Amino acid sequence: MIASDLLDARVLEADGQAVGWVVDLRLVLDGTTDGILARPRLHGLVVSPRTRTSFLGFERSDVRSPWPIAPLLRRWHRGTFLVHWPDVARVPEPDDADHPGPAVVVLRPGYLRYDATLHR
Amino acid sequence: MTGAAPLLPEPRQPGRVLDARLHLLDRQVLDVDSVPVGTLDDLELGPSGPGAAAGSPRADDPPLDGTTTVVVTALLSGPVLGTRVFGGRPPASRWHRVLWRHVTDVGTAVRLANRGDDLDLTWTERWVRDHVVGRLPGGRHDPDAGP
Amino acid sequence: MKRLLAVALGILTAIGGFLDAGDLVTNAVVGSRFGMSLAWVVGAGVIGICVFAHMSGKVAAVSGRATFEIIRERLGPRAAGLNLAASLAVTVLTLVAEVGGIALALQLASSVDHRLWVPVAALAVWLVLWRVKFEIMENVTGLLGLALVGFAVAVFLLGPDWGELAAQLAPQVPVEEDAGTYWYYAIALFGAAMTPYEVFFFSSGGVEEGWTAKDLATSRLNVLVGFPLGGLLSVSIAACAALVLMPAGIQVDAMSQLTLPVAQAGGTLLVAVIIVGIVAATFGAALETALSTGYSLSQYLGWSWGKFRRPAQAARFHLAMILALVVAVAVLATNVDPIAVTEYSVVFSAVALPLTYLPILVVANDPEYMGDQVNGRAMNAVATVYLVIIVVAAVAAIPLMIATEAGG
Repeated sequence: MIASDLLDARVLEADGQAVGWVVDLRLVLDGTTDGILARPRLHGLVVSPRTRTSFLGFERSDVRSPWPIAPLLRRWHRGTFLVHWPDVARVPEPDDADHPGPAVVVLRPGYLRYDATLHR
Repeated sequence: MTGAAPLLPEPRQPGRVLDARLHLLDRQVLDVDSVPVGTLDDLELGPSGPGAAAGSPRADDPPLDGTTTVVVTALLSGPVLGTRVFGGRPPASRWHRVLWRHVTDVGTAVRLANRGDDLDLTWTERWVRDHVVGRLPGGRHDPDAGP
Repeated sequence: MKRLLAVALGILTAIGGFLDAGDLVTNAVVGSRFGMSLAWVVGAGVIGICVFAHMSGKVAAVSGRATFEIIRERLGPRAAGLNLAASLAVTVLTLVAEVGGIALALQLASSVDHRLWVPVAALAVWLVLWRVKFEIMENVTGLLGLALVGFAVAVFLLGPDWGELAAQLAPQVPVEEDAGTYWYYAIALFGAAMTPYEVFFFSSGGVEEGWTAKDLATSRLNVLVGFPLGGLLSVSIAACAALVLMPAGIQVDAMSQLTLPVAQAGGTLLVAVIIVGIVAATFGAALETALSTGYSLSQYLGWSWGKFRRPAQAARFHLAMILALVVAVAVLATNVDPIAVTEYSVVFSAVALPLTYLPILVVANDPEYMGDQVNGRAMNAVATVYLVIIVVAAVAAIPLMIATEAGG
C-alpha cells in the first residue's frame, strides 16, 4: 500500500453514507526505533466533509495569518475530523478490477470522530 | 453520528505527530552532505513487526485495514511522481525506495544518513554526469578553486 | 565598494526584471506613446516585487528552502507542475529574447549583423554559467549594468520642463490611445516588474551565497536598493522617450531607437556608456533566466542544483540550462523578432505569478518554517493587497491582450 492509495479516497460509513474525503494521513513516531527515528505508525485519517484536497492545512494548525486567507481556508474546511486507524474497516484495492471507479475507505459502525488540530 | 456532534478531544500522543501531506510529501530529500537526491513523492506503508523494513512487505501487497498496525516502511521517489500528477499507479518494480531507517531528520527537508550516489534513485544524475556533463572540459572544476 | 557588492544580487535580479531586452523596448514604447502617464504602474510594480522578493529571500535565509521547493511542497505535484510549465514558458521566452537582445546590442556596437552574434552570445552565456563563480558573475554584470544610469543622466541633460513632466505623471489615457491599450500596457509593465523568474533567481541566489537567518539584513538591503533602482531606470527610459520620441512622433519598434534620445542628450560618449549598459543588462538577464530555468526545474524534481557545486555534482541542472540555451538559439534561427517574443510571455506570467506568490505568502507566515521571523501585520496587509492586485492582473491579462492585439 502507498500513501496515495488512501489520499483523496472517498470516505463512507458502514451503511454507505458518504462523510467526506481523506485529505491527509496522521502519523505518530512511536513505533520501534528504526535507524535514528522511531518508525511512523499510521495513527488515523484526516477527513474533510467538504473538499477533496486539503489546501495548505490551515484547518489543522493554529496559524491565523495572513488574514483573510487563513480564516477563509479554515472556514472552507470546517468540520474536518480525525478517525483513528482501528476504526477503518476496509480500504481500496489498488487497481482493483472488481471495484472500478473512485477509491473508497469504509469506516466501522460506531467509529469516533476526533479533533484533527495539530499542536506544536 | 451526525455532523453537528462535537469532536472528541484527541489524546496526547507518545511521539512526534506528522501529517503525511503536510509534513512529508513533496519535501526535498537531502543526503548526508545536504545534496538534494529527490523529492518525497510517496510513502510505502506496511504491517508493523520484525522484518517490516527489510523490503518484504512490498507496496503492492493486498491493502491493510484497521485490524493491522500499519507503519511507514519506506520513502518513494521517481516514477511515482508521474502518477501523482496524471493519476494511475506505476508497478512497484519501478519505484525507487529509500527505507525509513535511513531517515535522520524531518524538518523543512527530509535528511538521510546515506550518500546520494549510493541510492538507486539518483541514477539519472549519475548517467548525465558520466555521459554528458562530466565529459565536457571543466565539468569537474571546483567553483571555489579559482579560474 | 564592499557595500555595493553586497547588493549585486538585488541589482542583477532587478535588471532581469525591469531592464531586460523586452522591457528596455517596452519602456521606450510606453514613453513615446503614453508619456509619463504609466509611470505609476512601475511604482506599484516596484513595491510589489519588493514585498515578494523580501518574503522569498527571508524564507530562503531562515528555512534554507528556495522558492520552487516551497511551491512544490505547498501546492503538491499537480498545481506546482502547472506553475512549472507556465514559469518555464515565461523564463525560456525571456531567455530567447535576451540572447537575441545581446546579439542586437552587439550589432549596435559593431555593425555586424545580429544573426551572426546569436551563437556567440549563447556560447558566452554558457561559459559564464559553466565556469564563473556566482559572486563574480553577479558583481560584474550588476556593476556594468549600472551603466544604464546613463538614461537617468540623459533625462537631466535633456533639460526638460520638470513641472510639465511631473504633470504627466497623473494616470490618464492619452487622447490618441484607447483605454484597452492603456490598461494592456499597464499590465505588461506590472508583469515585467513582478516576474516569477526574478523571485526564483533571488531566493536561489540567497542559497548560492549561503544566507542564514543572520543575513536577513543583507537580503532586505538587496531588495530595497535593487528594485527601486531598476524601477527608476525603467522610468528614466520612458522619460527619455517621452521627451524626444513622443514630440517627434517616432514609434519605437527596435532596440536601436533607444539610443536616439541619449545621443541627443549626451552625444557619442553617453551612447557608448548606454550600449555597455544594454549589453551588460541583456547579458545579466540572460544569465538570470537561464539559471532560473535550471533552478525551478531542479527544485520541482529534487535534483542537485547550484553554481556553488562542481558542474558534475549538479549534472542535470547544468544539462537543463544547456538545453534551454540550445532552444533559444534554435528559436532565434527561425528569424523571429526576439523582442516580439516577450510580448506573449505576459500570458504565461499571468498563470504562474499567483501560484508562485501564494505559497511564499503562506510559508512566510508559518512558524514551522520561519520560527519567530514570521511576517508582521503591516507586511501581511501590504502582501495581501498585492495578492488581490496580482490575481486581478492575471485575470485581465489574457482578454486585454486578445482585445488589443498585444497593444497594437
